[in-house]
Amino acid sequence: MAVYRRSYKPYSGTLTAPWSRFFVLFRYSRRDLFRSKLQTGFFVACFFYPIVCLVMIYLAHSASFLAKIGIPAELISIDNMFFFHFMNVQGVLAFLMTAFAGPGLISPDLANGALPLYFCRPFSRAEYVLGKSSVLGILLSEITWVPGVVLFIIQASFAGAHWAWDNLWIAGSLILASLIWIAILSMLAMALSAWVKWRIVAGALLLAVMFFGAGFGQAVNVVLRTETGYFFNLAYLMAAVWEGLFRVDLGRAISVGQAWIALLVYCFFCLWLLMRKVRAYEVIR
Amino acid sequence: MNDGIIFEDVSKFYGEILGVNRVNLSIPSGITGLVGPNGSGKTTLMNLMTGLVRPSRGRIQVLGIATDDSENLFRLVGYSTQFDAFPKGLTGFQFIYSYLCLTGTSQQEAERTAWQAIERVNLTDAASRKIAAYSKGMRQRIRLAQALAHNPKVLVLDEPLNGLDPLARSEMIALFRASAAAGCYVIISSHILHEVDVISDQVILLSNGYVVAEGQIQSVRNEIQEHPTQILIRCDRPRDLAAKLFQSEYMIEASIHNDGRGLLLKTRDADRFYLAMNQLALDGIQIESIAPADDDVLSVYEYLIGNEEVVR
Repeated sequence: MAVYRRSYKPYSGTLTAPWSRFFVLFRYSRRDLFRSKLQTGFFVACFFYPIVCLVMIYLAHSASFLAKIGIPAELISIDNMFFFHFMNVQGVLAFLMTAFAGPGLISPDLANGALPLYFCRPFSRAEYVLGKSSVLGILLSEITWVPGVVLFIIQASFAGAHWAWDNLWIAGSLILASLIWIAILSMLAMALSAWVKWRIVAGALLLAVMFFGAGFGQAVNVVLRTETGYFFNLAYLMAAVWEGLFRVDLGRAISVGQAWIALLVYCFFCLWLLMRKVRAYEVIR
Repeated sequence: MNDGIIFEDVSKFYGEILGVNRVNLSIPSGITGLVGPNGSGKTTLMNLMTGLVRPSRGRIQVLGIATDDSENLFRLVGYSTQFDAFPKGLTGFQFIYSYLCLTGTSQQEAERTAWQAIERVNLTDAASRKIAAYSKGMRQRIRLAQALAHNPKVLVLDEPLNGLDPLARSEMIALFRASAAAGCYVIISSHILHEVDVISDQVILLSNGYVVAEGQIQSVRNEIQEHPTQILIRCDRPRDLAAKLFQSEYMIEASIHNDGRGLLLKTRDADRFYLAMNQLALDGIQIESIAPADDDVLSVYEYLIGNEEVVR
């Protein structure tokens, strides 16, 4: 029997707070994303429409300039419809950004079998998913609700406190609408990339879910003469929720409540898929 | 009970496939070798003790901590898997550093500790190169460094000596011994039995998901009654010695060594044999050495599991 000196001394220094540890993944993943020039270029391009909106807000408050160039002042109206359009455009860009950046977050770890490396730390599966989704969450926030709120503040500074107070709900709607869309896109992108474990295929699958889902839903509607096909159309469901939030009525076939429930079902399905796939070891049957 | 790694009636099934079944173990500090053929459950046992897979039944405690308490468990446990898996694009240093940050170490402390770990596995020169450009041995060493970096009390190492050259092997073995000498728990799985024999303070033999034997090799060997004990005696007159020994009833077999100065004996009762040897030594036969010939891991493995996949 060996004789042990028992000289082992564990680490006794300070530790970072457990809740903040997922930021380590965020830091590394974000740095990896911006290594791609295409990704950086697309990110910059996402600010083109907010700049156009900024110019429109400026013009809306420059009646003399509009008169000079012959555009009627009432043509540019900064209201809930204006921010609804802003949300639609930025929402599409957020989707494209997700298709580009999302699948690369989880699939390389799964494909390389690197998950045991993460999970043999004081680091849970939920923290791993949170760390990876925070990359998309912050990236998509930077192109959706953050410029939206900045535009709202600029409009409020031009229009005055009375307008700001009356329309404060628009800022809330901007934030909430963006957060729902970000949550759905993030979960969908990560669940699909965890499922197929191949970045390119996961990207293609995300596009397929959006476009083929819409096509399939339309086919169901036409063939079965029903409106349930819209539940396969994620963009339609999201637009229905946004219409409710921005108090816009474009005559959707399904109610806002139904759209909320359908989106929640999608979210839970993605979470279930993530929790099944993001494990240290996957049991192959 | 806060000491040791304890398995209480642990079973793990992957669907209908048996991982390990009804394992009851208490692993003390020092170096413990996990030995068994492919698919015997060595990696499952390691994954269970690190909480990476959950037992289908039973309970596991590592130094008094349940394996599902990852926050406390992985302060004490360092795990090096057998898989050659690394996140893409990282250098050796970044690999160690980033995972240290995940354990909650501050960035400054993580940097210092990462360099320390890299130094312990002798990879300082290659630390700033990408892992993708590493040789197999270097990958093995950087994997060991990530397991060691946070100075864990329990080191679980799955096939840690694979792919290492002889010099690196001896360096790593020295590292394991140093950890064990400091009072740590080092659990090593390996197919290379003579290395397990040399390194381990105790062994756990697994076959088809069952623990076949555990403990110090000599104790395990003594428990195997159906195989007679083999003893090698070096002496000047082996023939005379064999003739005298065969007068006792506990001798089964004797063979003279090729060089004519040794005798390999098989006996049913080693204790009585050793007592008899004292008498024979007084009868004028010059005995140079007496050593057990089959109380090593290899022999025990062959007796209990069979000689399939034995790496000598």
